[in-house]
Amino acid sequence: MQRERVYRYFALGALVLLAILGTVLPSGARSLMIQIMIFGIFAMGYDVCLGYTAQCSLGHSLFFGAGAYACVLSVMHLKAGLLTALAISVGSGFVLAAVLGPICVRLSEAYFVIVTAIIAAVFHLLAMDLIWLTGGDDGLCISVPPLKLGFVDLSLYQPLTNYYFVLFFMAVTYFVLARILRAPLGKIFVAIRENPKRALFLGYNVTRYKLIAFIISGMVGALAGGLYAVTLRYCSADYMGFYWSVLPVVWCLIGGQGTLVGSWLGVALMSLFQYYVSAWFTYYLLLFGVLVLIILSVSRKGILGFIASKVR
Amino acid sequence: MPEWAATVLFLLMNGLIWGLIIALIALGLTLIFGVMGIVNMAHGDLYMVGAVLAFFLLPVTGSFWIALAAVPIITAVIAGPVERFILRPYEGHPAVTMIATVGISFILQQIALATYGGIPKKIADPVDFSFSLLGVSYPGYRLLVAGIAILIILGIYLFLYRTNYGILIRASIQDRQMAAAMGINVSSVLVTTFIIGSVLAAVAGVLAAPISQVFYLMGNDVGLLSFIVVIVGGLGSLGGTLIAALALCSLEGVLASVLSPTQAKAAIFVVMIVVLMVRPRGLFGEREG
Repeated sequence: MQRERVYRYFALGALVLLAILGTVLPSGARSLMIQIMIFGIFAMGYDVCLGYTAQCSLGHSLFFGAGAYACVLSVMHLKAGLLTALAISVGSGFVLAAVLGPICVRLSEAYFVIVTAIIAAVFHLLAMDLIWLTGGDDGLCISVPPLKLGFVDLSLYQPLTNYYFVLFFMAVTYFVLARILRAPLGKIFVAIRENPKRALFLGYNVTRYKLIAFIISGMVGALAGGLYAVTLRYCSADYMGFYWSVLPVVWCLIGGQGTLVGSWLGVALMSLFQYYVSAWFTYYLLLFGVLVLIILSVSRKGILGFIASKVR
Repeated sequence: MPEWAATVLFLLMNGLIWGLIIALIALGLTLIFGVMGIVNMAHGDLYMVGAVLAFFLLPVTGSFWIALAAVPIITAVIAGPVERFILRPYEGHPAVTMIATVGISFILQQIALATYGGIPKKIADPVDFSFSLLGVSYPGYRLLVAGIAILIILGIYLFLYRTNYGILIRASIQDRQMAAAMGINVSSVLVTTFIIGSVLAAVAGVLAAPISQVFYLMGNDVGLLSFIVVIVGGLGSLGGTLIAALALCSLEGVLASVLSPTQAKAAIFVVMIVVLMVRPRGLFGEREG
């Protein structure tokens, strides 16, 4: 349990650091930080799938994009409030994962990766095509409704409010997921990851638990999508693109899969890389590809996984 | 003969010819998976590389046919080291190979974007004759493509089932460790198979270049379709892949007469989902995938 303690201290330290950074950072760095936190939520959700039940999905952009669209469309057409819109986002992730999950999770490893990638690709095509609904490549812009807390109305157009709003959701997501993964449910996930056959012999319904992990992961992905749409006040079919499916895999690989919070490190490194490299090199996706190959060949434990294995 | 019948026949022909091209790509995909457990996400991009290379070679060599002969050699020179030095450590872990090949896919696309540019271009038909198909003029080059594709598929069949080296490859598909224990040089078999699969995709790219547009992202759509084909046919099953390619592409061709292209693609996707619900390993898949 030493290792788990390392992860927990790291997570708490990171959250406190983020809370302090919010007040001192200049505005440019702060908006980058907001992005990193949102991707951190996405990455945590993805890690439940990849790191805890060993299901490598290449279709998580579907949940991210669906969450973003659910949020934007419910604000546009239903005139929903901010929190309602985000709840609808999470709901959309739940529905999609619960409908598509039963088809995917019973497949073997190779089929699972391919089929999730195909599903996301087809939804991406549909989103590009149904321009009347999604705005296609151009996307949709919204004006974000204020956050009604009963005693005070906060506007997310204030960068600082936006920052702490996202940080709040990041913390909540972390504590909820960490609680779930510490509970017997999380232990079953790990048992399935380590040896699905033995878990089956012990009487656990492996398919059902894989599905539960898939749904949790989808809901968190959709929440991240919703937050991203709210922060950028914009959403386009591009959010369902293949690139957004590859990113979470890379985050988890860099930071450490199966650590829940290690992916934050991956997110931070990748976002900084993207931010600075894409500024001076047009073909930065080339370097991204090289980076993926290098990471795979160096270690599949990831940074935090590596540190935790050194702690006695 | 009523007009709609001619239209449907025309679309069916197009679908079948497209199906043969997709079959070339998907056969390579399923062969590579069958022998080394690599889920090759860069396969669509090899198709793109074939088309782009043909575009570059055409002015140099002056003949489409020399380009068609030269592209496989160039592809083989690239593909061999990629398998041996980059992908070898991950073989047998489908998810990891998939991520690694995504990296390769990004690299290939960006190199094409940097050298070829982001604007779609067309290659002129290398043969200039057309004939009348029930009153509709049909380009002869497409029939030629179909002929070449059938010849290649036949050649692959003869190679795998009628030569000694084909036996080695099939033995490695069945049981790699046992094949190695019997003294087969599995390492060379792996490199060869990867080269054959990549060359198939690149040749398909050259053949398709005059029919479709040459574009640095042209591999994405084709890759998606060939993955669906491979899933429906059964990963690792060569015959199933061929049947699925022809069936799905002619279905898409005919559906395109009543639906929009995207809706036709969505219909193919629905077919895949139904097949997966009934048979999770595809129509003809038997092995553990």
